[in-house]
Amino acid sequence: MSETHVTPEVEEPEEPTNRPAPTRRMKEWFSRPYVRPIVIICAVITLAFIPFAWVVLYFMNGSGAPASPTMTEIEKTILVFTIVSGPLMAITLAVLLYSLLARGKGSWGRVHGEEPPMQDSPAIRTNSTAVIAWIAATSVLAAFLVVWGMIELATITKDSYGSIASVQGPNAPKPIDINVTGQQWVWTFQYPDQGNISADTLVVPINTPLYFNVTSVDVVHDFWIVELGVKIDANPGAVTNTGVTPTKLGTFNIRCAELCGLHHAYMETKIQVVTQDQFNNWVREMGGSRTA
Amino acid sequence: MSATLTAAAPPHVPQPKQHGKPGGFLRHTNIFTGLVTGIVLAALTYIIGSHWFVPWGTQNSTYNQVGFQALIMATFIAWVIGFMAGIGAFAGPIRWMLGHDLTHDDAEYMAGKHQGNWRYFKYTTDHKVVGIQYLVMTMVLFAVGGFLAMMIRTQLGVTWTSVFQPNFYNSIIGTHGIVMVIAMIIVVSGPLGNFIVPIMIGARDMAFPRLNALSFWLLFAAVPPLVANLFMGGIRDGWTVYQPLGAQAPIGMIGYQICIITFAFSTGIASVNLITTIVTMRARGMTWSRVPIFAIGILASSIMGLIWFPMFQFSQIFSMSDLALGTSFFLPTRGGSVWLYENIFWLLGHPEVYVIVVPASAALLELMVVYLRKPLFSYKLAIAGFAGVVGISSLVWVHHMYMTGFAPSVGYPFMLSTELISIPFGFIVLVMLGTIWRGKMWTRLPMLAVFALLFDKVVGGITGVYLSDVPVDQYMHGSMFVVAHFHYMLMGAGLFGAMGAIVYWFPKMTGRMFDEKIGQIGFWTAFLAFQVTFMSMFVAGLQGMPRRVMQFDSAFRVSNWISTIGAYCIVIGMLIFLYALVSSWRSGKVAPGNPWGSKSLEWQTSTPVPLDNFPVLPVVTEDLYNYGIPDPYIETEERLAQDDNEGVVV
Repeated sequence: MSETHVTPEVEEPEEPTNRPAPTRRMKEWFSRPYVRPIVIICAVITLAFIPFAWVVLYFMNGSGAPASPTMTEIEKTILVFTIVSGPLMAITLAVLLYSLLARGKGSWGRVHGEEPPMQDSPAIRTNSTAVIAWIAATSVLAAFLVVWGMIELATITKDSYGSIASVQGPNAPKPIDINVTGQQWVWTFQYPDQGNISADTLVVPINTPLYFNVTSVDVVHDFWIVELGVKIDANPGAVTNTGVTPTKLGTFNIRCAELCGLHHAYMETKIQVVTQDQFNNWVREMGGSRTA
Repeated sequence: MSATLTAAAPPHVPQPKQHGKPGGFLRHTNIFTGLVTGIVLAALTYIIGSHWFVPWGTQNSTYNQVGFQALIMATFIAWVIGFMAGIGAFAGPIRWMLGHDLTHDDAEYMAGKHQGNWRYFKYTTDHKVVGIQYLVMTMVLFAVGGFLAMMIRTQLGVTWTSVFQPNFYNSIIGTHGIVMVIAMIIVVSGPLGNFIVPIMIGARDMAFPRLNALSFWLLFAAVPPLVANLFMGGIRDGWTVYQPLGAQAPIGMIGYQICIITFAFSTGIASVNLITTIVTMRARGMTWSRVPIFAIGILASSIMGLIWFPMFQFSQIFSMSDLALGTSFFLPTRGGSVWLYENIFWLLGHPEVYVIVVPASAALLELMVVYLRKPLFSYKLAIAGFAGVVGISSLVWVHHMYMTGFAPSVGYPFMLSTELISIPFGFIVLVMLGTIWRGKMWTRLPMLAVFALLFDKVVGGITGVYLSDVPVDQYMHGSMFVVAHFHYMLMGAGLFGAMGAIVYWFPKMTGRMFDEKIGQIGFWTAFLAFQVTFMSMFVAGLQGMPRRVMQFDSAFRVSNWISTIGAYCIVIGMLIFLYALVSSWRSGKVAPGNPWGSKSLEWQTSTPVPLDNFPVLPVVTEDLYNYGIPDPYIETEERLAQDDNEGVVV
């Protein structure tokens, strides 16, 4: 509570009238004692994110993924996003770690104790270089992620509808329609092209495009073939579509990914990806009239 | 900020006539009369209603159910109205109808003058009382939500058996979610927004003191119906209560819906109050370029709350009328649309995240300058960040619905808007980093909370970028990865930030110093355990574990065991922190008026804060955050420039 001021005093920081050339200023900046450790921590963390990206995929691939081109694209996106987000994590962590841990001459310093310290720190109100660089860098990063995401989305949308090169051509297998119906708490799969046979596990031939017409008879479910990277809601009163081309033999998981009531946790089944011959045999056993 | 004290003689204003004792009807009302009136009115409604509805309902099994749901709805509405009437919320309007104006003595009685601690149990208008009420309410809600979280983690950790029935498990998931969302929405804006913001901007109270009391007691009235749902069949649908699953629910669902509708009223009223206070009641000299960043953050979050909470409210009004009155907004069998519900719900659902994270971040921006003794780095960039978040937050809701199939091509624009919001959010990160940059840090708990918040926010932000991408979301949607991501944002950034903020303003609010030794132990135990719990949950999500399941594939066992152990350690840390909070509040060291050496207005008044905050209203005469010494490196730069001029090579 000081003496009365009628008009507020405005203290403008004085602009240096004659600033040195940018290269000189950069050089001077890099020679400051705290810059080198921060840059080193940044570099280490950024590099550490590259192996870390494969750790992320290692967890995803535990049960046999990727088993389709869609899942391969998804994993590629995760790999790229992890590596790209490394620098951001690195800058943040480097400043935090340096501020917390650095000791000795030239470091920023710390004060402990009960009494408020009255030693002030440098009054940096802003720094246009840092602000512009940050905005530019994050904008470029966001733009890259958006463009990458859109291209990938277009790719997996095309993949979902059977445009994979390996399955195209004159002898390409005919796509199989499968009607998926969710109900509390089972999945039912119907093969209209194979004489309307229906089953509660999904059996499909390898390298054949599958089209799913997904619906529900009661509440919202979510049809998720984990290792194939397929996911779409099963809505009552509407049919949603998606598709995939399995490219790996084996048995994979189908789960419900939308809370659908009492036994949501148990609304699981399997997808068996088999060879074309095995599939034809299975259709015959099930009493199907016509095979693809 | 140095303040100027000038006393101007108040102009003569004709005073209204005093009717009876000051306070009038409100002298006889308190929380207990509210509870009694609420319960009596609810019981009467139920008894009378059951006599009217049951004979009509027995004609038809469907109508029977519809009648019963409507009866429960009426009962809960009667509880809310009865409680508000009993505590005296309608005294003001009735007084006006009788032609009695409030006198100065009435207003002072309503602000809780000479009522001791009893004022915390009454319809008190003083913003400081409301702030403390909110603080206690938040702690109660966190206790309830945390207890439910432990039940969930116990079930998920005990992989070899089943602790709960599936129905009850699904109910505790949903109740945990909504209790925690409510608690997180109010944890900063409630206690600190009400207690601190008016003092910080140099006002004597909020703009609408009686609305302030109304907003708190509406929140209070909203909680019993929510808790009651657990004993009425529960909400078995997660906190989102997607339709038409919600329509299958037992009557507990009505409790949830009444809670949300009432809570949205409470939040809307509180938002109007905070916005008006910050816009119109700032001290003389506090121009827009001198508004503390915390007030800006509260303003931003109130704007989002005011615009988007009605969406949440309407989603629940419509689905309650589906359930109780037989309409079919969201029931596909009768021409409704499930996608309509999802859209209306997420129109609030995403801005709500920023309603939580923005005030916590703003509070830490406000306090870190005090511990670093340097001005906020690029104050205007921080404002741009908040403005950007408020703007873009309204355009991103569909990223919760990428996999619903309601319009596959809508993924492209919403992927763009969702990733755009990371740019203004990055501004806040830069402002924090820039303020830490070269600062000599005073290592107190609130300052260290900045580090916790920044780390969690960056982890949450990066995983958020994954989820904003449609192809990645095709794998992650509905998995534990999403759960871990939003806990990093809401708990990691929101709650740990709020804990730091509460410790910072604790001396002003309670008049006692916070016991930091014990507090730090609790805080860091909880923080480390939090990393263990949710990092491990990220792994479960990557492995393909769906959320909201009670039993799962054996592949996810190890990560769930680790998560459960971590969760129990979080509780230990939180209990230690709570102990520090309660014991400091009861018997801590008496706090001086300005223990941190801060220059902002709220620390310039005495502690405990007098009823009208300042003996004389302050006038702001200095720029914001006037800490710091001239930068020594600028001198180096000047020397370099001089060398250049003289042609000397260094």
